[in-house]
Amino acid sequence: MKISYKREKIADGIHFNSIRNASLKTNSIVVNLVSPLSEETASLNAAASYFITDSSSDYPTLVDISSKLEELYGASLKGTVCRSGDNQFISIICSCINDRFAFEKENVTVELAKVLLSCLTDPHLDEKGFYEQDFALKKQELLDDIDAVINEKRSYAVQRAGKVIYKGEPAAVSVKGERSSAEKITNSSAYEQYMTMLKTAQIEVFFVGANEPDSIKEFICSGLSKLERDYKGDCSSKLSAIKAEPEEFTDELEVAQCKMVLAFKSDKADLRAAKLMNAIFGATPFSKLFLNVREKLSLCYYCSSNYNDLKGVITVDSGVEKANIEKAKDEIIRQFELMQKGEFDEKEINEARLAVINSLRSVNDSAAGLVNWYSGQIFRNTSFSPEDEIEMLEKVTKEDIVEAAKSFKLDTVYVLKGKESAENE
Amino acid sequence: MNKEVIRNARTGEEYTLIKHPTGLDIYVWKMDNFSTTHALFGTKYGSINTKFKTKNDPDFVTVPNGIAHYLEHKLFENEDCDVFSLYAKTGASANAYTSFDRTCYLFTTTSNVYESLEILLNFVQSPYFTEETVRKEQGIIGQEIRMYDDNAGWRVFFNMLQGMYHNHPVKIDIAGTVESIAQINADLLYKCYYTFYNLNNMVLSIAGDVDVDKVLEVCDKCLKQNENIELETAFEDEPETVCEKEVVQKLEIAMPMFNIGFKAKPESGLAALKAEIETNFVLSLIANESSEFYKKLYDEGIINSTFYSEVFCGDGYFCSIFGGEARDPRLVCDKIVEEIDRCKREGLDKKRFNTIKKAYYGSLIKGLDDAENLATIMLNNGMEGLSAFDRIEAVADCTFEDVTNRLMKQFNTENVTLSIIDPVNGREEK
Repeated sequence: MKISYKREKIADGIHFNSIRNASLKTNSIVVNLVSPLSEETASLNAAASYFITDSSSDYPTLVDISSKLEELYGASLKGTVCRSGDNQFISIICSCINDRFAFEKENVTVELAKVLLSCLTDPHLDEKGFYEQDFALKKQELLDDIDAVINEKRSYAVQRAGKVIYKGEPAAVSVKGERSSAEKITNSSAYEQYMTMLKTAQIEVFFVGANEPDSIKEFICSGLSKLERDYKGDCSSKLSAIKAEPEEFTDELEVAQCKMVLAFKSDKADLRAAKLMNAIFGATPFSKLFLNVREKLSLCYYCSSNYNDLKGVITVDSGVEKANIEKAKDEIIRQFELMQKGEFDEKEINEARLAVINSLRSVNDSAAGLVNWYSGQIFRNTSFSPEDEIEMLEKVTKEDIVEAAKSFKLDTVYVLKGKESAENE
Repeated sequence: MNKEVIRNARTGEEYTLIKHPTGLDIYVWKMDNFSTTHALFGTKYGSINTKFKTKNDPDFVTVPNGIAHYLEHKLFENEDCDVFSLYAKTGASANAYTSFDRTCYLFTTTSNVYESLEILLNFVQSPYFTEETVRKEQGIIGQEIRMYDDNAGWRVFFNMLQGMYHNHPVKIDIAGTVESIAQINADLLYKCYYTFYNLNNMVLSIAGDVDVDKVLEVCDKCLKQNENIELETAFEDEPETVCEKEVVQKLEIAMPMFNIGFKAKPESGLAALKAEIETNFVLSLIANESSEFYKKLYDEGIINSTFYSEVFCGDGYFCSIFGGEARDPRLVCDKIVEEIDRCKREGLDKKRFNTIKKAYYGSLIKGLDDAENLATIMLNNGMEGLSAFDRIEAVADCTFEDVTNRLMKQFNTENVTLSIIDPVNGREEK
């Protein structure tokens, strides 16, 4: 399939990325506002992401904007906040049908771009900042969401573990900030920080669709080039510091199942070798962790690993009975040591490689996959296509993988334990 | 072999249905220039099918809860190896799931499609269970059940179903309980396997840039002839009323969660699809983000953006659900009941109907880019004897009168169950 990718500078630290895939029936526009994670701004930025997509000065209420989107054949427009490495991404993600499917062949995509731009650059304000009445609800929602992290025990454990794994680094900052700082936000402080973000953030606009996005690009460029800018260009991530001795940390909650998260760190692993090492170790259902910790020893329903190359960290997360915590931990570490000793064969390497390549080949099929991929390239200062990446993965040898495994060291053991009272229920 | 191309003028899309001589229905949607292929091999057998009979059984047989899901786990083990290790050679990413009324085995791949298809067809047709391998799975599934015990979103939904249904097995957790799965043995698994994994009761569905003839070549080679065993499933009679009006549980969460379910009479086939679509229109008109009702509750802080509504329906069950997080779920429930009664008296907002229709249609068009979505639609609709385009056509044909009738018929504000999950430590209200 022919995919064309083009990146153009619109203004200082602002780029328009267009990705064309002739097969797609959906058009997508994504705007990423990227800045370093920090305790001071995390919740302020998050609050803005909650506010800006539910209204704008053209569409002052949620009913106005939702009705407009319904009119555009159920176009979607969502604000999200997430992390990548040491950065916080505030994103507006939109999609709509290709105009050719519209009943009257209306210009659905350009209309959607107009709504997007009005949300981004022309929010609904009052004399102090974001329109107070609506903002108060959004702030409450942010607080509720910060509190609600506890609802999903698996992700809660991973987030709590992150605090220990990345202690002292921007990556340790909760992506929506702490409750205490979120409580202090006002409509004027959030607006002020939003204006700062528009000035200083790295802004990456993506269009993904079947047609040349000329009219959309023109429209968005004219809107964004008017922004006052003071871009610092400081959005690189640093590898995580390795602790001298592994740190053990335990939380207690009333849960039926305990969660355990282990982190291994490296400050010099080769990206592709580490990717394959991670796949052999724990990222597939034929990995060492799945076959041994789950299938052979029946210790867990899930036990899998994940590699964060921007931080140089492999995390293993698992759900396990209290009585089996030590057993599971020993087995996970033992399996990692086997990787370091090179106790895996060509078959395992080739199967892991095939699985990684398989997922790379599917990148081109969806807007989310494409945006994610090319955004990742930008923050790694590379411009490889998924096909280039596949070519490099083909060249990785067993020696490279062992070398990568050896460079990792156990750094953190986090356990979320059930309280005694929950044991007998 | 009967091969038919099903076309849709509205979208310009098409797929092929093949009635294979073994009894299997095969659906293929060719997606030109896409890299990903998604394949599903499914049986019309889920957690609710615990009571059944074939022409070889003198009477109806009842089996332990959770057995369909258990069987799904165990099929992944061949006599000599684990199925994942076979897929590892093709690079396909494989999985399976059990729902209330289906069990599906699937793979997604960007290479070696036909080799992967061969693996899929072969392992699903080759059961191998021993007492020892069955016992081993109890630890893993036990942990899966425990994980869901802590999942508030899952619990709030099942507690609602338990409150709503007196007898229908949809109220039983898909994986069963630690106690019910302890009764499962190899003989029972074989019994269920040979009853439900009969190709006459199954569907194969593939979407991707594939060649129909090559798919059929693999099918001809791998599919085994199946005798039609005249399978019948049965459920206990289910009263129209709900069993309990309110169910409350406590878990470690931050804010109360709720599901409010309106129980309605189930239908089947095309009538069920129409009922589902019309009910979705009703829900959007009453309470989606562009409704005045949503705005009012939202502005008053009674609901937040986690609020949603959906239709939940299948063989013998149908309900409309409003869910989300709220400080006072009982107040949300009262407001919804009030609003439904008001709409019944004063009528729905006709002006918004056409806009909602456009949005509904748009969401279905967006789904055409996704191989997994297309394969799933063909399978789901195929199992109900419907075409994959029936939904898009029914949406386009739906009228305001249909939707109004549905509101009058489907929303009995007496038949409501409210399920609440409260935080273990009630937060202080500010």
